[in-house]
Amino acid sequence: MQNRYRAGISVALFFLCFLLSQNSIAEASLPKGLMKLDGRPALPLVLNNMDEETFDLSKKKGRWLFVHFWAAWCGPCRREMPKIQAIFPKFDPAKLEIVLVNTAESEDTVFSFLGSVAPDLNPLMDTDGLVTEAWQPRGLPATFFVDPNGKLQYLALGGRDWTEPEYLDFLNKLIK
Amino acid sequence: MNKVLKITLIVNILSVFILSFSNFIFAAETKPKKNLYEDTEVYMRLVLRTPEQLIAFYQGREFKQEAIDKILETCYVTPIVKNKKFDVLWLELDSWQFLDINNKPISRIKRDYWKEQWQEIKLKRAHQSTFGWTLMPEVRDLRFDEGVGGSVILPWQTKPFTVIANFPTGADKNGPVKSVTFKGVECKTDIEQE
Repeated sequence: MQNRYRAGISVALFFLCFLLSQNSIAEASLPKGLMKLDGRPALPLVLNNMDEETFDLSKKKGRWLFVHFWAAWCGPCRREMPKIQAIFPKFDPAKLEIVLVNTAESEDTVFSFLGSVAPDLNPLMDTDGLVTEAWQPRGLPATFFVDPNGKLQYLALGGRDWTEPEYLDFLNKLIK
Repeated sequence: MNKVLKITLIVNILSVFILSFSNFIFAAETKPKKNLYEDTEVYMRLVLRTPEQLIAFYQGREFKQEAIDKILETCYVTPIVKNKKFDVLWLELDSWQFLDINNKPISRIKRDYWKEQWQEIKLKRAHQSTFGWTLMPEVRDLRFDEGVGGSVILPWQTKPFTVIANFPTGADKNGPVKSVTFKGVECKTDIEQE
């Protein structure tokens, strides 16, 4: 009986250590330009993509979301977009879904830009810019990471090369 | 002339040429650039937009002419700032100073003014949003290595003016205030040369 009790405690401790180590890895080794957020619930995000399909963030629990705010007029956004296109096929959307939110631009503008640099990406259209304003990114571009429980965990400031090993490693660790 | 002398002469000529060329390159690199400041703590640059650039940007996004006309009455100063040292470098536009040639303060044109203008001319919500994102944030706690850029808008100035950017530092603003001054800043017209 005592042995079972001890074994139970050992297993519990093992899992506790495992969970703590996962968190500490993620926080201690955040790649450049990423900041930890306080885990507050993500704001509502219900928008249509360019095919008029509705995306509702509240229905996406159980997976990580890469929520990227951008506009074609913004230089760093333009430079970053091909890198997002490059990582897009690397992740199973059931584990990590890449969600682009275009801020207040017309379909023509978005289509002509993405058609040449990121043809596989179908952004959500924040046509009046109100969703972006509510989310309050620290400028454009900005990427929020929403955890499988719908909580805001990380924010990537500005643009970056997501294909670099440190960023790919970060993304892979999220979905482990 | 013997062979050794010939080679020495060629080597000497080449050395003089390489040395002169490297001096020229070095001089070009070290010449201070206008509207640029950089030290181990902060990088800051001011970009001045010409009316032509502003028209191209806003017309390209189908802003109505009334909006573009209002924008053209002003002077666009676009600071780009990067925190190279501090845990937090505070961007607080209200603590910046803009002084005219007589050291009198120039009031910058703030977001509220533009909001009123856009409502008056019924500018599309999407265009108001785009305009808002091109402005410099009023306040930003810039983390180490973080940068920010955006437009600060002043009434049109016919004479050079001074920009003094004051940045409190530290998470609680307890650190020293970093101050960067640009003198002789000028609103850009289309006929000016870089």
